[in-house]
Amino acid sequence: MIVRIWGARGSLSAPGPATVGYGGNTSCVELELADGTTVILDAGSGIRELGQRLLEREPGLVYICLTHLHLDHVEGLGFFAPLWRAGWKLQFWGPPSPTATLRQRISRYLSPPLFPIGLSEAPAEAVFEDVPREPWRVGSAVIEAQMVEHRGPTLGYRIEEEGRVFAYVPDHEPYLTAALDDRPEWISGWALAANADLLFHDSQYTDEEYQSGRFGWGHSSATHAAAFARAAGVRQLAMFHHDPMRSDRELEVLYDQVAEGVGNDQEPPLIAREGLQIALS
Amino acid sequence: MARTQPDLVLIVARSFATKLATPTLIIDARGDLIYFNAAAGDVLGRSYLDVGSLPASRWQELFQPRTIDEQPLAPEETPGGIALRERRPVHGSFAFSGLDGHEREITVTAFPLFSRPDEVVGVMSIFWELPAAP
Repeated sequence: MIVRIWGARGSLSAPGPATVGYGGNTSCVELELADGTTVILDAGSGIRELGQRLLEREPGLVYICLTHLHLDHVEGLGFFAPLWRAGWKLQFWGPPSPTATLRQRISRYLSPPLFPIGLSEAPAEAVFEDVPREPWRVGSAVIEAQMVEHRGPTLGYRIEEEGRVFAYVPDHEPYLTAALDDRPEWISGWALAANADLLFHDSQYTDEEYQSGRFGWGHSSATHAAAFARAAGVRQLAMFHHDPMRSDRELEVLYDQVAEGVGNDQEPPLIAREGLQIALS
Repeated sequence: MARTQPDLVLIVARSFATKLATPTLIIDARGDLIYFNAAAGDVLGRSYLDVGSLPASRWQELFQPRTIDEQPLAPEETPGGIALRERRPVHGSFAFSGLDGHEREITVTAFPLFSRPDEVVGVMSIFWELPAAP
């Protein structure tokens, strides 16, 4: 499995010279599975460029797993080229809702007045489904989704292929559910991340920001992300969902705090960066 | 450790209960006791740290629930048990033997915890001790 980052920013796109190093596009990660299957995690603004890249090949089936429907995770959909080309089949999965189907919820964004063209006009064959309750096979991988602590229904994903595990929990505030040194089964998201080789986790805030008014907003401080990764026995943490106000330089200062918080048996953490490609094999 | 954990609704319910000063108890979809808070520990006669999680049969044996007029009450007949079986909120009173040796009467409001419209993952019971009869 190859993990490619097309967007790692949280909350709002943040282009500009201060963020050019790690990128300003919002959440989008591509997984290239061993059998060639493409799985996309989230449809933030990073999916625009990924869509252009996909057009270089013959139309086919692409799987898109949405963690939740906050705008920074779906805002790129309207500009995802395969959606607007006949011949592509897009299988979407997302969080369940007791009140509306996934297609209905996505259509609230992809319809006037928020967007000029309705989802029903898209030429691609787009199928929208709630995530299965049990792990399911996609290509050569098995995907598992579970609800995690965030504002509104939100999923985290665990993708396992050939014995390697990638966990993706970009929007998550586990500290709200339990102290991060509590019994791990009571920590939101623990089972998804347990013993993962690589975890992309919400690291939006500094400790000072978290403690001064952002508690309960659904995101983690970077040190909480490190503590969560340690509790889950993750081999390597990648800081993800960078605050839109965070410059490249400030991200690197935050990284130093996180690096101090990882366990001795863990690899040094990473800062998720647009264009970064990680092979898990 | 097995990579299993309770549904997020139960995790959040437990987190909520830890912060409540009102006695609160949570059972899972099997009827097993999975958590009670410190205030509930005062009424039940022992803390959760001491008691831990208990299968339904075991907590019945420990607390010996019974009706106010002293008829034995099976776990599925308590407000929490009814809420779980019938998937509806229930309010009622019953008596039990506290683990500190005191006999107590409580009134309980129990409601099912739905994680999806068709899936109950447990029941939260909030209760109050009734004043002792004069």
